Amino acid sequence: MVLYQPTLDRSFAALADPTRRAILLRLGRSDASITQLAEGFDMTLTGVKKHVHVLEEAGLVSTKKLGRVHRCRLGPRRLEDVSKWIGSYRTMLEQRLDHLEDFLERTKGTP
Amino acid sequence: MNRAANAAKAAITTPSEREIRIERIFDAPRDRVWKALTDPALVAQWWGRGNKLVIERMEVRRGGHWRFVEHAPEGEHGFEGRYREVTPPERVVQTFEWDGMPGHVAVETMTLEDLGDGRTKLVTVSLFHTIEDRDGMLQSGMEGGVNQSYDALDRVLLELR
Repeated sequence: MVLYQPTLDRSFAALADPTRRAILLRLGRSDASITQLAEGFDMTLTGVKKHVHVLEEAGLVSTKKLGRVHRCRLGPRRLEDVSKWIGSYRTMLEQRLDHLEDFLERTKGTP
Repeated sequence: MNRAANAAKAAITTPSEREIRIERIFDAPRDRVWKALTDPALVAQWWGRGNKLVIERMEVRRGGHWRFVEHAPEGEHGFEGRYREVTPPERVVQTFEWDGMPGHVAVETMTLEDLGDGRTKLVTVSLFHTIEDRDGMLQSGMEGGVNQSYDALDRVLLELR
């Protein structure tokens, strides 16, 4: 199996769970500790830790231990990276189809 | 048919964040569209989006390789992949990779539908994979659950911005 290596699919898998998406939204507003997240979502510390771990593996969340508190924040990977390549691919594909259309128009009547 | 007229007939939908589906209707018979997609001499005339295109390889058959290099003013862009299915004149399935994003693989399925009036509908569905998918290192079991949640992803992306 692959070791720690953030990929598109890891991000997608991390986002498959509604709680994890909610955690990302929460961290989008401000950093939070595991305890604060657990309180906000009415979950056990263990449950939150598990979700945070999955997000961490996908590179979407990083945690830092400050004394006894685990501080969670977004990053280093941004969700924008996940969709960036797909976005530029789409633009290229549309341009290609435009040129294909022009080509067919230009060569009309040929076999 | 001009671009604007076709735009009305074109449809782009994003069933999931990593799947792109584009429909286009061309005012050309299916055999001509097929040829434009699979004959290197014709592909060279449009695929480069107006840039010079060098077709290094184009083996249009199952398992065959293709590699195109676009010579744009700002530099060269290499693209390549393999044909997974070639069914004339209706279907091509191929992988697509850009040199600039190694490991990010899209599987493109192009379906040509004869509309019966001299026009052809081309449906392109592109599904994005990672190198782990391609090499079969990841279990495919997670796909089901993942796909269900994509509709929420756009919202998440917007809110995080």
